[in-house]
Amino acid sequence: MPKVFVGMSGGVDSSVAAMLLVEQGYDVTGVYMKNWSKDLPGMKCPWAEDLADAKRVAVKLGIDFEVWDFEKEYHEKVVEYMLKEFKKGNTPNPDVMCNQEIKFKLFFEKAMEKGADFIATGHYARVASPSRLLRAVDENKDQTYFLYRISEEAIAHTLFPVGGMLKPEVKKLAKEHGLHNAYKKESMGVCFVGEVGMKDFLKEYIDIEPGEIREVETEKKLGVHEGAVFYTIGQRHGLYLSGTAGEVNDGLPYYVVAKDLEKNIVYVSKNLNDSHIWTKELKLKDVLMRGEAKDVLVRLRHRAPLVEATFDKDTLHFENEIKRPAAGQSAVIYDGEICLGGGIIA
Amino acid sequence: MIYLDHAAATPVSRKVLEAMKPYFLNDFFNPSSAYLPAKKVASEYEEAKGKIAHAIGAKANDLIMTAGATEANNLAFTAVSPDGEVLYLKTEHDSVRNPAKRFAYQEIEVDKNGRILMDDLKAKISDKTELISVALANNELGTIQPLAEIATLIREVCFDRLSRGVKTPLYLHSDASQAMNLLDINVARLGVDLLTLNAAKVYGPKGVGALYVSHDVRLTPLTLGGGQENGLRSGTQNVPGVIGFAEALVNAKEHLNGNRKKYAEFRKILLDGIKDYELINKKHSLDNFVVLCFDGLDAERLVYLLEDREVYVSTGAACAASKGVRSHVLTAIGLSDSETNGSLRLTLGETNTKEQILEAVEIINEVVAGEKARIHA
Repeated sequence: MPKVFVGMSGGVDSSVAAMLLVEQGYDVTGVYMKNWSKDLPGMKCPWAEDLADAKRVAVKLGIDFEVWDFEKEYHEKVVEYMLKEFKKGNTPNPDVMCNQEIKFKLFFEKAMEKGADFIATGHYARVASPSRLLRAVDENKDQTYFLYRISEEAIAHTLFPVGGMLKPEVKKLAKEHGLHNAYKKESMGVCFVGEVGMKDFLKEYIDIEPGEIREVETEKKLGVHEGAVFYTIGQRHGLYLSGTAGEVNDGLPYYVVAKDLEKNIVYVSKNLNDSHIWTKELKLKDVLMRGEAKDVLVRLRHRAPLVEATFDKDTLHFENEIKRPAAGQSAVIYDGEICLGGGIIA
Repeated sequence: MIYLDHAAATPVSRKVLEAMKPYFLNDFFNPSSAYLPAKKVASEYEEAKGKIAHAIGAKANDLIMTAGATEANNLAFTAVSPDGEVLYLKTEHDSVRNPAKRFAYQEIEVDKNGRILMDDLKAKISDKTELISVALANNELGTIQPLAEIATLIREVCFDRLSRGVKTPLYLHSDASQAMNLLDINVARLGVDLLTLNAAKVYGPKGVGALYVSHDVRLTPLTLGGGQENGLRSGTQNVPGVIGFAEALVNAKEHLNGNRKKYAEFRKILLDGIKDYELINKKHSLDNFVVLCFDGLDAERLVYLLEDREVYVSTGAACAASKGVRSHVLTAIGLSDSETNGSLRLTLGETNTKEQILEAVEIINEVVAGEKARIHA
């Protein structure tokens, strides 16, 4: 029997993944990866409950269960990276980093050391022999956007048992097999940031200075912000603008179009056609490709529609203008249903 | 369902619920209001407090009603001055350990049964020690502590302090939450200055507790407002809760002897019928606590397997288990990590019948055997 270590988060997807592996006759060990356990005031990461949920499922499946503690490494590789990027004014994606550095590296390596033939997770993605990463059957749940940076070696030894299924099918299976977490609320985003949101998390770690919000066209001061790092290009919410209604607020929303971190100024504009917002070209850094292609499909946000583009070394060219994603986010590149890789938006 | 976790929660008894009902519906008035129907509620509230107080040999005015035992424990620690030192038993609940840690604190060691080491206590009392907190019965092991003996020691220390002109007071606090169903509690006999009570463990409502405060203890309120509860716990009185608590405590007191006999019998059935365990709480334990160690097994797995068979047990205190941390209580009595991992707590109560206990024995044996077979497969 091939030996599999399956990452179990306590959620319905990884629970069903573990169940399917058991049914398929693998020698399965469930592993809860403990990545973050710090409680910030007023923000509780529900890791202990998640761990209990994962363990309960493992026990009901009759499989071994272990807790692997990657807290230190997660802090070094994911949290610190994230804070560093925010301080630079970028908007990083910690889930991409977590998959690259923790789940499909440290977890993978440790599993291999323990004699695994495969690792498995509850991600919605597929693997084609020998080491091709494919989009999930459920387009709406596809998670390859977060997985594009994982190594070919890891892909070759990974099983995604729910990647060929639709989410409603997964939920149905969970219910049929009496897995209690079929009813669990879906967790969103990064565990340790939880429901409270990135802004409150960042406030705990980054010294912030209030500064000015200016209109980009006129340099006129419109209001104040809590700290430029909190603002993402293209964002329209959360701007505290002052001034008389007639002058400033004619009913049209303002968008963040640029940030000057040196001077701690956030620039906004009402002009939806502002050149800062739209582009036909995206330059990428830290490009990671598992194959070559020129005419490609690109995904610029998780669940965003695929856009046609041509890829040239480190630059994506689009036929029509696209709304520019924030620097630090990822552009993920596909050839048909194959996820070739991608890069970080510069 | 076979519920064997009465130390975590007890159902509200029918009688208690009936007693509470009118105060949610017709007699909903604020006891502080001026008109007669409200005055009537106020006097019934005081009467209920009187019943609770009477059950522990105190007067209504000695009780500060709180929203549960945790708040009462926190309030007890307000007796300590900012520079004062506190001592607490190593096996205390977090609702004692955490407020204690705001002061200079030391932990008093216990023996392998979880009983206080009196010599260690003596050695740790200094002239700055102001409060000693020792639960009457421990919440994970059921260990009963010799409070009267501790109180005697404290009186000697106080006498010695006075004779040397040291004016620092020294108080004894005890959390009696777990003991109320099985022990006849009397504050004078126990010699405590502060005593925590909890409705939720005696078939009363959750979120209702009380702190007994002897006359010479000065507390500082944690909740400020309209000055209810002698100014020590502001907020409109929880009338139905306190009425329910009184009813529950009176019932518990009436059934003390019957309970002890019944639980001793059930305990014997469990100990005789279950196979291959080591009994952890051998001595000085409440009769309704059965703590078993299945060395080499993971008790948390047993909890989930038993849950599948609708038998509900725990690995330790519910809060400790949900935080995924090892029990500090089992560690304190000298259990190894593997013994701690293998320990299961069964706590008996009014929901249990003899038939249930016999059935629980069968199910536990099956589950343990199944888990052993899985490991050796």
